[in-house]
Amino acid sequence: MGENGIKRGPGRDAHAVSRRAFLSKGAAGVGAAALVGTGADEAAAQAVKWDLSVDVVIIGAGVSGLAAAITARDSGASVISVDENFDIGGRGMLSGGRVHLGGGHALQQKFGIKDSADQVFKDWVRHDAAAARYSDRDLVRVFADENVASFNFLTENGVEFIEKPIGPEAASTVPRTFVTVEWQNKDEIYAPGGDRNGSGLVRRLEQSARKKGVQILLRHEMKSIVREQARSGKVLGITVAHPGGTLNIQARKGVIIATGGHTGNVNFRRTFDPRLTEEYQQACLPYVYQGAKGELAAMDIGASLWGTANQTSEAGAAITKTRHIGCRWGYSSLVFQPDSKLFPLAKATGLTVGDWQNMIFVKQNGQRFWNEVDGSYRFFAAAMAHNGDPSKLNGGGPIWAIFDADAAAREKWDPKPPHVDPDGYFASADTIAELAPRIKNPHQKKPMSGAVLEETVSRYNSFVASGTDTDFKKPTPMYKIEKPPFYAAWATPILHDTLTGLRSSTNGEVIDIRGEVIPGLYCSGEAQGGFAQHGLARCVTFGRVAGRNAAKGAA
Amino acid sequence: MKDPQTHSTHLELTEPAPPELPIGSDLVVQVKVSCRSGCDLSALPLTVTGPDGQTATIAPGPDRAATSADDARDVTLMAPLAVGTHAWTIRLPSHESDGILHEECTLPVCVTTRPHATSLAVWAVPSPVVMRERFRIKVGAKSAAGSGLGGTKILVSDQSGRLIAQGSLRDTPWPGTSALYWTEVEVPAPNREGMFWCTVNFAAADIDTPHERSSSKFSVAIVRPPEHRLTIEVLERDSKAPIEDAQVRLGAYRAATDPCGRAEVAMPKGTYDLAVWKVGYDAPVQTVDVHDDVSVQVEAVIVPPENPDAAWLM
Repeated sequence: MGENGIKRGPGRDAHAVSRRAFLSKGAAGVGAAALVGTGADEAAAQAVKWDLSVDVVIIGAGVSGLAAAITARDSGASVISVDENFDIGGRGMLSGGRVHLGGGHALQQKFGIKDSADQVFKDWVRHDAAAARYSDRDLVRVFADENVASFNFLTENGVEFIEKPIGPEAASTVPRTFVTVEWQNKDEIYAPGGDRNGSGLVRRLEQSARKKGVQILLRHEMKSIVREQARSGKVLGITVAHPGGTLNIQARKGVIIATGGHTGNVNFRRTFDPRLTEEYQQACLPYVYQGAKGELAAMDIGASLWGTANQTSEAGAAITKTRHIGCRWGYSSLVFQPDSKLFPLAKATGLTVGDWQNMIFVKQNGQRFWNEVDGSYRFFAAAMAHNGDPSKLNGGGPIWAIFDADAAAREKWDPKPPHVDPDGYFASADTIAELAPRIKNPHQKKPMSGAVLEETVSRYNSFVASGTDTDFKKPTPMYKIEKPPFYAAWATPILHDTLTGLRSSTNGEVIDIRGEVIPGLYCSGEAQGGFAQHGLARCVTFGRVAGRNAAKGAA
Repeated sequence: MKDPQTHSTHLELTEPAPPELPIGSDLVVQVKVSCRSGCDLSALPLTVTGPDGQTATIAPGPDRAATSADDARDVTLMAPLAVGTHAWTIRLPSHESDGILHEECTLPVCVTTRPHATSLAVWAVPSPVVMRERFRIKVGAKSAAGSGLGGTKILVSDQSGRLIAQGSLRDTPWPGTSALYWTEVEVPAPNREGMFWCTVNFAAADIDTPHERSSSKFSVAIVRPPEHRLTIEVLERDSKAPIEDAQVRLGAYRAATDPCGRAEVAMPKGTYDLAVWKVGYDAPVQTVDVHDDVSVQVEAVIVPPENPDAAWLM
């Protein structure tokens, strides 16, 4: 029994026997295996003809996938990286580029910041910080010990940082966040003009990976992970679908799952929180979908989840208010301007909220539910509370921001396309009574009553007149909603961080539901469970760990 | 000559017609045309006889030739401008072809029409209002059909239902709206302090087409006559720089600071909670005792704007 209670011996032996037995039956093409991917019946398993064969196959070309690919290549392995998207980067492409690495790296030293691996560990196992409390300390220890090496890895592979320390943030007690320099070519980023500095991280890693010989196959969607037997033996490769057909790619040494998280997969995310029904959109769509594909493919061959308490710890950015209302994906500082290549899909920039006093929030039924200026998890709990609809018991239904012409003037909004999406995410009308029935959205299951919304607004206006919100204690409600025209804008909370995923060893090996290593299968990034730190640092670090160990062929 | 074979036919709506709809509106129904013997009738025209007795022919669409016999076709019925129950008759005329006679069949469709809905908006209600003074509000009325409402009356009543003001809508809509006809009305304030509710009623009379009446309520905070002047100065705590456009609230009393960070409020004697609000600043609520002309200073602390990418909470 090793760290994490992980068993190694029996699993390895079984693998060795079964693989020998398999190979003795003969192989077609480069090699052949029993296909035991999604839904496959072991008895009906068919031989796989490998179309391609390399040492390490990496599923996903986001931050952790690129870090894994470069590291595996640096370790001498031949590498293929597949990604279902039309371009690399995953959510890293649209991130703010805030990399939270410490341990006393060169840039910290330049600013006189005293830090160490031990301090990183100590901070990120703090019992008094919900972002750290539930993490697997074996993984945190690896993360801490690898921080300086991860920072060096980034700079050695061309990643540049703005020399301005930020922090301390979250559980950290010293400044550790440094922001990467945005990619210089605006044509190669998807939210130009929006300080999407993560583009500089992923593009420079891509550049380095390609230069070092990593083969990146875009629009190649992993369909299954091939293991010798359904629940035993070594992982041998993956099957992928691409616009021209399918491919079977053999991984002689290892497969790394770096598919990102599960936030966009409604069925999967409800494992951890049944309230997260379909109305909650996923941040970073329409660029990249977090569909739990890696987790599901790994679970199909026996993998286990880990550290699931992190997903519901109510710390961090698992769910946030929509900062840009009136559009479908209004996450944080991410805005798709009309010059973005993704704008035809995003359809609106959204109206960026400067002051939550300028609106009320109502549910599907036209009633307020909480103090609008609050952004805590108490707000989200109220937003996701049962809305009274007997046909929808889970999830709180859509949330609409209701405001008037005066609010639009105060916020300097022009509430028209391209700033809003009238195709389901924005409505306007001359009166409140006319506004309510104009709210039409797939998640608005029942029409909003004009009379109810009128009652809600007139009651709220009386709170503004008296200075006291007796319903939800909004601190001194400031502005009436009275001057026509009136507006309703989509303001349903949006989901971001995936904070749990597959169970792994400290080497990044995926662990099965009985606590045994699945030989040849690794994970990193948001598909990996056990360490709930937000953002890019854990993706880089555990991508390196997985890449290094996969290249060895055995841990 | 051999008698043709007779097939009976059937017409039905794929979904029932709504029991009620506004006058003058279009109702699109889907009519399913079928032959009991399974013949394809998609190429046959329908006729529709309206409430006015006029009959129109609905030719099959160009894409109908390839559709199945059970396919439904859209038929648009235009409701009359009169309120009441109206009947249409959709008819498949008899048709003989290739030795088969398809019998005529009819389908009655009944719909009740109601007047156009109307709705109201009330804005620019001052707050607070001194008891027994008169105050002006703006009232707008909207027809769901976008009808012109200029010249029609709106009435304002107090919470006991007593008529206290009235006005006549102007001929041009409020800027920025599609058809919100509006006017300004002077309303007398009640003679005691507190929150009062008034109701605006729109009878929707004297309009060319029938409209439903509507009403809307609004609240107004009524206060005692002012006795003293409270001067509030809002400064940034560290630099002592004045903060402009900070919202100042003392219960029903409200003001905003000028470029010098000052705001003045006329109010009666009393003890008030003073709240100051401006995005990017934080100022604690403080209690102010107004017993004379009083000045207070509020020190607000700058709250650094949260980096939206740093959405970490402890």
